[in-house]
Amino acid sequence: MIMTTKTVELIASPRAPHFVGDGFRVHNFIPSGFRLDMQRMSPFLMLDYNSTYTFPPSDKPKGVGVHPHKGFETVTIAYKGRVAHHDSSGGGGVIGEGDIQWMTAAKGVLHKEYHEEEWSKTGGDFQMVQLWVNLPAKDKKSDPKYQAIKHKDVPVYQLPEGAGNIEVIAGKYKDTKGAASTFTPVHMFNARLTKGGTADFQFPKNYNTVLLVLEGSIVVNEKEKTLTNHLALMANDGENFKIEASEDALVLVLSGEPINEPIAAQGPFVMNTRAELIEAFNDYNIGKFGYLED
Amino acid sequence: MNSPKLIKYLSSNLGIDEAELLVLIAEYPIKKVKRDEFLLRANEFSKHTFFIEKGLLRQYSIDSKGKEHTISFAPENWFVSDRESVYFNSSSAYFIQAIEVSEIVMIDQAFINLLSEKLPRFTEFNNKLLHNHIRHLQNRIHMLLSSNAEERYLEFVKMYPDILLRVPQTMVASYLGITPESLSRVRKELAQKNFRK
Repeated sequence: MIMTTKTVELIASPRAPHFVGDGFRVHNFIPSGFRLDMQRMSPFLMLDYNSTYTFPPSDKPKGVGVHPHKGFETVTIAYKGRVAHHDSSGGGGVIGEGDIQWMTAAKGVLHKEYHEEEWSKTGGDFQMVQLWVNLPAKDKKSDPKYQAIKHKDVPVYQLPEGAGNIEVIAGKYKDTKGAASTFTPVHMFNARLTKGGTADFQFPKNYNTVLLVLEGSIVVNEKEKTLTNHLALMANDGENFKIEASEDALVLVLSGEPINEPIAAQGPFVMNTRAELIEAFNDYNIGKFGYLED
Repeated sequence: MNSPKLIKYLSSNLGIDEAELLVLIAEYPIKKVKRDEFLLRANEFSKHTFFIEKGLLRQYSIDSKGKEHTISFAPENWFVSDRESVYFNSSSAYFIQAIEVSEIVMIDQAFINLLSEKLPRFTEFNNKLLHNHIRHLQNRIHMLLSSNAEERYLEFVKMYPDILLRVPQTMVASYLGITPESLSRVRKELAQKNFRK
């Protein structure tokens, strides 16, 4: 089989930030960006990026109050800062620096997310990514669950020649398997490259793929320069691509097999039909998601 | 066809093609408003009925103690106005404010005259809308006089299925005429009844 190059379709600049609650100052890339809608980016439904932002100390932790999710998974990657979360089934925990929380909302959860109390008191630099990953129809009604993945438990592939490393959050890089289990094929890596270091990637042609540059800058396929806080959308025209760090860089690499099912999305619910969406709102309104104090 | 929501709304209710409507209504007075921006403040005079293309408006009053009372929420495809000011030319007792970034069709008398003139069934339809609005207000008065907090809440979520997720609980409580604590209690009791792990 002849492998062809996956080229860059476009490079998206960060959009003007907005606050989610009062604790997350995010640039939305998916679905509001040009050619980054839910259908195009499936299974990735949403990508909010809190680029490094300094929160002043606060005795009252900032964050997002009680809200539901249904029909998909939320993935929170904490690069800087710490987040505490609680849900309506009594679950909770802290997402520390470098940790990943993979929450399968599936049939429905009610939760809240705030800056962790002690972190909030000192404040400081905060940098996070929150992703929504769709579930296929058959899994949308499964039970909610968490995968709380500590940074030290993320498998690491060492690149040759001191080029850096690839942290494999999900999927597979070379022979290194990711920490998280997924419902459909999803690859999710943190590529930490030193200046001049390169890494190559290979995903099936139809997998929807983006690169989010969190630190430093890179060149994709030896020609497309992508700066800090920018996102490169890869075309579905080939399998292989290569990145090179122009300076020390941290890049979030996402690639997933599209789920070719209808999407009915509104607010915090992502279902397949309008009727299921209405049902989700009704269920939430009459307490079927449970109750959680703000 | 990706025409404005008001065109779709008139098209489906009057049975006229969207394309035909777009030709008839050449001037389409749309206004983009920021979150928290006012379309009307108390003591001002209003000349417009607002149709919501995108976003969410709230009509409310503030009493002498500074407490807010929500008269209505107006999400996409709803109309909101202070009829007393628009039709009786008196100063308004209400605020109409955007809760979200919104796009609003500013409907004035000239626009209504244009619709009445060009669309034969519009006057009849507008009349029906007015009766529907009165029915809604009648129900609302009745609920406020005779129903308990849970009944009011259930009626509210039936009419506004997604508003609970779009506005602070205090605003919902001020629409229902109950305290935020009562609203929390109602929602907690419903969850105890309906939550299945």
